[in-house]
Amino acid sequence: MKIKVSSFASIAFILSGLFMLGGCEKHDHTEQENITTIKLLVTGPGFDQTFTWNDSDGPGGNDPVIDEITLPASTSGLQCAVLVSDESQSPAVDYTAEISAENTAHLFTWTVSGGASLTITGADQDSSGKPFGQITNWATGQTSTGFLTVKLYHEPTDKNNSANPGGEVDFDIAFPVKIQ
Amino acid sequence: MSLRHKAMLATVCLSGSIAAAQAQHCHSALRGHITEGNRREPLAYAAVFVREAGKSTLSDESGYFEIIDLCEDSSYTVEVSHVECAHLVQIVRIRENATFDFNLDHDAVLKEVIIVEKALAPAPAQAQATLSQADLEAARGTNLAETLRKLPGVSVLSTGSTIGKPVIQGLHSNRIALVNNNVVLESQQWGREHAPEIDPFSAGKITVIKGAAGVRYGPGAMGGAVIIEQEPFRKEDGWGGWISTGVFSNGRGAVLSGSADWRKPGSSLVARAQGTLKKSGNLRSPDYFLHNTGLQEYNVSAAASWRKNRWEFESGLSSFNMQTGILRSAHVGNLTDLQLAIKSDTPLNNNNLFTYTIGRPYQEAGHLTSRNKAVLRINDTWKLTGQYVFQYNQRREYDVVRSSGSAGTRPQLSFQLWTNTLDAAIEHQPVRHWQGGAGFQAVQQTNFVGRGGLIPDYQSLGGSVWIMERRRRYPQPWEFELGARYDYRYTAATSTGSLNNIDTLVHFGNASGTAGVIYHFNRYCSATFNSGLAWRPPHVNELFARGVHHGAGTFEQGNPALISEKAWNNNLSFQLNSDALNINLSVYSNHIRDFIYLDPQNTFVLTVRGAFPAYFYKQANAVLNGLDGSAAIRLGKSLYLEPGFSIIRGKRTTDAPGGDWLPLMPADRYQYAIRWTRSGSDKRESYIRIGGTTVMQQTRIPAAGLLKPAPAAYTLVNLDGTLQLKAGHKPMELGLTVSNLLNTAYRDYMNFFRFYADEPGMNISLRLKLII
Repeated sequence: MKIKVSSFASIAFILSGLFMLGGCEKHDHTEQENITTIKLLVTGPGFDQTFTWNDSDGPGGNDPVIDEITLPASTSGLQCAVLVSDESQSPAVDYTAEISAENTAHLFTWTVSGGASLTITGADQDSSGKPFGQITNWATGQTSTGFLTVKLYHEPTDKNNSANPGGEVDFDIAFPVKIQ
Repeated sequence: MSLRHKAMLATVCLSGSIAAAQAQHCHSALRGHITEGNRREPLAYAAVFVREAGKSTLSDESGYFEIIDLCEDSSYTVEVSHVECAHLVQIVRIRENATFDFNLDHDAVLKEVIIVEKALAPAPAQAQATLSQADLEAARGTNLAETLRKLPGVSVLSTGSTIGKPVIQGLHSNRIALVNNNVVLESQQWGREHAPEIDPFSAGKITVIKGAAGVRYGPGAMGGAVIIEQEPFRKEDGWGGWISTGVFSNGRGAVLSGSADWRKPGSSLVARAQGTLKKSGNLRSPDYFLHNTGLQEYNVSAAASWRKNRWEFESGLSSFNMQTGILRSAHVGNLTDLQLAIKSDTPLNNNNLFTYTIGRPYQEAGHLTSRNKAVLRINDTWKLTGQYVFQYNQRREYDVVRSSGSAGTRPQLSFQLWTNTLDAAIEHQPVRHWQGGAGFQAVQQTNFVGRGGLIPDYQSLGGSVWIMERRRRYPQPWEFELGARYDYRYTAATSTGSLNNIDTLVHFGNASGTAGVIYHFNRYCSATFNSGLAWRPPHVNELFARGVHHGAGTFEQGNPALISEKAWNNNLSFQLNSDALNINLSVYSNHIRDFIYLDPQNTFVLTVRGAFPAYFYKQANAVLNGLDGSAAIRLGKSLYLEPGFSIIRGKRTTDAPGGDWLPLMPADRYQYAIRWTRSGSDKRESYIRIGGTTVMQQTRIPAAGLLKPAPAAYTLVNLDGTLQLKAGHKPMELGLTVSNLLNTAYRDYMNFFRFYADEPGMNISLRLKLII
């Protein structure tokens, strides 16, 4: 009977060992998808600048670093492209191509507030002809200040209702805007 | 307690003894132990026959037997026989709680009877509530928390209708211990949405111990414990077991469970295999389907026990696996979404249709337990017990993700937890009227956070020593219990990924103690007072968590400077158990120093998903007072009235002028039912019961307010019944349970998803159990 006990115990130990090994191999320290950085590439005649919203240490900890969007007054013909990435990882992971590939399941929305004289219109469509918003046309008016809120929605239910398209918010960020 | 209350209790006890007198005190048991030869080895399968009562039984594998329903202070002729031994006849006089030791010999020379006054397996000197067999059967197919929710002082903390955790007198998660088959469950219990990995189908008996039980079950049992025991092994040779099936209307679910025992003929070896399969789809609240609330579960276990000379061995292996959907509408991306969802009376993003498919968000949890126990009976009085347990817990949480690419198949959170526990104890039967034991425990735990940096990886080592003794001298009505324990825990935590940078050692050590006294008014009626000190080290989550809790729309941050919580729990309870009247009352006051809670900061943390309100883990003193009870009152020959209630008041007493109500304290609850029973020829009871539960609105809320007002009071009507039948010669049990009979739409304060959707509506379940 003693043999039985010790064999049972050894089976238990072997089992536990197996699970330990399995666990060690699986342990990859990979974070979940984590958008940390949004870049706005604004180009136009004689204008080429990148405005960045960056929270490389994720929620909490250090506050995000946010560029002020400074644009010349009374200028039209500006175009903006959004880049979305995770810079907490090394190398940084760029999600922009993936979002563009799944453009029917995504929607970027643009809201100007606080009196900034900035007009933004969509310059692209998704593959089913509905708004997408990754590329936008910008035009500025007189000297003013305010805010620009950019949101990325995932699986929106009503893409034509940019105020409340449904689905989930992947990011929701605001830049200070200065038209000079 | 006031004089008037004392008088009331005395009256109740008196009426109990009157009822007992009418029953001629014929509820005593003849209990004893049969041993063999000079070495006094336990003798299994000896026949015991009581001539006057015409009752007989066999001793179990350890030589113990019990014959119930004998009259107190009467003389009986007891015959003890065994094929290999001499026949023994002895006249005994039954006294309350006395046990008889019979020693048989291979020749007929020795005829010895020793009457030893000793209590059998003393229950803790604490307030407790045991789920009746009928309630346990009626709840088959629901999860553990749901199974226990009828008990006074127990409520359920839920996250939607698929995830529930038991709450004992206001405390839950890491503050209570779940003890399954003598093994304290080690899993990710810190999470509000992490349900216990226990299959209620494997339980033969479930008892809830209320109040500090840390001396018995370790630092996890600060607020109480749920004790799950399996059915005793088959005592006869050969095969036996049961099959149970059930179907549920809500969720169109089905459950199949079975258990088989086999005892090797002429041997002490007995083995058991048990398994459960369960599947259900989207649940339905009265007005809509709750999308993505399906679940599936499969559990298997095997156990064996055998005996060799003075040794007894028991080994068991069990595996629990479940996958559960989480209400789709409860997933919100940011605070604006959350506010929209809270404002809406109906769930947003909800597909109002039935399906068995489980989509994101969902959880997967698996738990493996291997337990190995050896008992050495040194002699009739002393025994040595050793137990080694290995537990492996795996939890994966799949969130709604933006990408359908490679990330679309991977979990967003994954935890793995390995626990090794070694216990050794020496226990003794009464020596100079003291019964008890002492022992030590060593624990090793490794936690890996595979994905998602909510908590760090950690490695824990711990040790404990304990002693517990109980004194009872018959026929004195007093019984005393004293216990002490010291625990030490050492934890090394390291960060995962790049979001947290933690590399810390923390260690906690503390003593706990318990003192209890039981006064037996008579055989049917007793009062228990227990005062216990217990503690709990802060969990890694409370120390180091940092992140957005998406379900709650909050940013939560741990505090590495937290110290241990200490509880001083005083509990006075009263029990009366007679045929006519059954009462269980408990009043308690639980003072907790350095109670850990989430404190709203009135600031926002700016994240890529917008701003979230910040909550930091803080400590303050808290007091939880309460009163709970249940009763069964016989009205007619077979008609019973079953009232019950649970009331709790929880306040934070520091850092808040005049005190502040604690969040998530169960609202006042009242239960009432009428049960009609019919006893069959073989004492198996059929019954039908209709009852209601009224839960009041929680008006005692923290001053900081709630995101959504506490839901209104509600009343649910439930019906359940069991019919005992025979399939050929085999017993068969047919059961019906209808919960929420009136299909009431309601929300519960203790359900975190009250923000999003109603609770499920009517559910009709039919059960069939065959005993083979």
